[in-house]
Amino acid sequence: MDAKRNMAKEPQLREGGTGQMERKDLESLIECARGHDGEALGEIYRRYVRRVFGLCRYMLDSRESAEDATSEVFLKLQRSIESYDGSIPFPRWLLRVAGNQCIDALRRRQRGRRVIVEVEDGAAVIEPVSSEPSPLGAVISKEERAKVRDTIARLPDNYRVPLVLRYYSELSYDEIAQQLDLERNYVAALIFRAKQELRRRLPDRSK
Amino acid sequence: MECYSEQTCALAVDGELAADEVQRLRDHLTTCQRCRALVDALRAENRVLSESLNELPDEAASPAGFTAQRWSWGWSDLAILVVVLVLGSIISGWFNELDIPAALDWFNPFSVSGRTNLIFHFFDYFAHGGTAMLGDYAAVVGWICLLLLLGGSALVLGRRGRPHYPGMRLLIVLLALSLPSFALERRHGEFVTVAANETVDDTLVATANMVRVDGVVNGDLLTFGRTVEVRGTVRGDLISFAQRTEVSGTVEGHIYTVSHTLDLEGQLGHSIYGVVQSLHIDDRGRVGDGIVVAVGDASLEGEVKRGVDIVTSGSADVSGSIGRDLTMVGRSLTLTNTARVGGNLSARVRQLKEVHIADGATIGGKRDIQVRVRESSFTRPRFYFHQAVWLAGAILVGWLGMLLFPGFFRATTQLVGSGWLSLGLGVGVLAGVPVAIVVIAITLVGFPLSLMLLALYLAAIYLAKIWVSAFLGRILLKPSGATKGDWLLGLLVGLLILTIVGFIPYLGGLVRLGVVCLGLGAFAGQLYRASRPVITA
Repeated sequence: MDAKRNMAKEPQLREGGTGQMERKDLESLIECARGHDGEALGEIYRRYVRRVFGLCRYMLDSRESAEDATSEVFLKLQRSIESYDGSIPFPRWLLRVAGNQCIDALRRRQRGRRVIVEVEDGAAVIEPVSSEPSPLGAVISKEERAKVRDTIARLPDNYRVPLVLRYYSELSYDEIAQQLDLERNYVAALIFRAKQELRRRLPDRSK
Repeated sequence: MECYSEQTCALAVDGELAADEVQRLRDHLTTCQRCRALVDALRAENRVLSESLNELPDEAASPAGFTAQRWSWGWSDLAILVVVLVLGSIISGWFNELDIPAALDWFNPFSVSGRTNLIFHFFDYFAHGGTAMLGDYAAVVGWICLLLLLGGSALVLGRRGRPHYPGMRLLIVLLALSLPSFALERRHGEFVTVAANETVDDTLVATANMVRVDGVVNGDLLTFGRTVEVRGTVRGDLISFAQRTEVSGTVEGHIYTVSHTLDLEGQLGHSIYGVVQSLHIDDRGRVGDGIVVAVGDASLEGEVKRGVDIVTSGSADVSGSIGRDLTMVGRSLTLTNTARVGGNLSARVRQLKEVHIADGATIGGKRDIQVRVRESSFTRPRFYFHQAVWLAGAILVGWLGMLLFPGFFRATTQLVGSGWLSLGLGVGVLAGVPVAIVVIAITLVGFPLSLMLLALYLAAIYLAKIWVSAFLGRILLKPSGATKGDWLLGLLVGLLILTIVGFIPYLGGLVRLGVVCLGLGAFAGQLYRASRPVITA
């Protein structure tokens, strides 16, 4: 049941709003933006810049490069918006575009190599039941959330990037696999291990 | 029933498990306390992750703050600026104290006669009415420009203050180039004259069928015309693009010319530099410095105070006096009885019998007459050195282009791939732009624009091979990513191939022409694309 609900879940948007009115508003906004309407593009920018910047900031290591990537996403938007077909909610599509931009930036930094390289270390193999699985509990105070964020930010690329794409951009494993040019199973393994690493680095969490 | 692994549970919680698997897990959960606890815990963990990530860090608090901070000046920027200013002051002070030999003064960017600060001269020239009037000021302007250049580079390298919108960068370049649009005296018409009793205090730009100066021009004279005659005085330089340039009066500066014929019957303060079909220095003509020209035929009857360097496709006849060395490369050389060469005479001719030196001719220094044998350039090491320098220069230009206009360079490279379209467009641009330049130059306001267009045209012709090479390299290498490094590597490979192909007789020339057309076409196409509306948010 829960799995199904998760599957159907749309990104929760702080800025965009998913109300009926807002959605209609958004549709016309996108329509205008397609016609190179500067004001519409400006409005889209105003609504989603924070969300896009957030993603870039998580994905990239410096504020400057995150700002660069954010600028690029919105600069390219006037052209790329033509390829938006409405099959998925716009904010999610935008975050996918932004994710791609960040992956490109990471790739450039690594001189064209893939951001995450599959290594044959058995990561993709489903592991047996670990003796003491102890997922992060419902730590929910503001300070603790900040701590979780900081720890995620310090994870290596191969853990941080899929984790952020999954739980911030809310992309499916398939979408992440496609963006990172990896096997779906490997993405699953990376996310799994990323969480384990996170648990290891957050040892004194409250349960 | 056996319990599920943590990873399977995690997949289920992420909604990534196949439907039948989910059903089986769900059945299992109804009976297994342990797995239910695990799934609940994993779900809670996902919630923690989502909530933590979605509660954006403070630095992304507001979009307004984000854009405002982009342009704020941090302490590090200030520090960079201070360092650049201090370094600049030290360097310029050091330069001033240096006793630079006159021969090397062209290298000194702070010197008025420096040739490395040609760009500064150019700006100063247009902004302040000519170097002849405010020459000293060029040093100051040069100093400021150099500091700005250094500071700008430091900021770019520091990745701060970099304009993020390509349009903005283009605007800055255009603003810098639009300086020429003021402080010039321009005249235009069928017949432009400066009357005998008239004095032009500014630099005069004259475009006309016939330009005649009987009076005085206190600045430089810059002319486009069929016939240019200076009977009066030009205190600055004479720069002429004309069918016939004739100086019977006085030019106190230099003459820079591209003309069919150049006749000097009057006085020239400094040197002649030019490409001329027929050069004639009358016996009344005096050249204060030297002559450096590429000519069809040259006839020197007057007096040249310093050296003469001539590359000629025809003959050079000397019957006047040359203060220092005479160096010529060409078909034939004749020195009459009245000829006098103060220094050495060196000539490179095809056949020895083409050199006629009359017995009465005086030559102060050594005679060095050599028959030029056309040997294959491939046997000379210098040839390879030149090619290497040329290649390094092209790579450097490509790198700079990628640094400053990465999007534009990439896109243009891409556009080369449109083949026939680019080629066709390129042929049109190659042939059409010179016509447009001339047409624009003739109109009154269009003159600075035509100069800019000319500069852009020449630059694009040079850059054409860079884009085509980069494209060629990319096709051959098929790099995994599209990084700057890949682009540059592709450029190197492409340049090497094109250079080698370019040496094949006949075919090479054709290929070179094709490359220029392709690159020009891609450039024009990309310019058109880039000129479409950009985001204003």
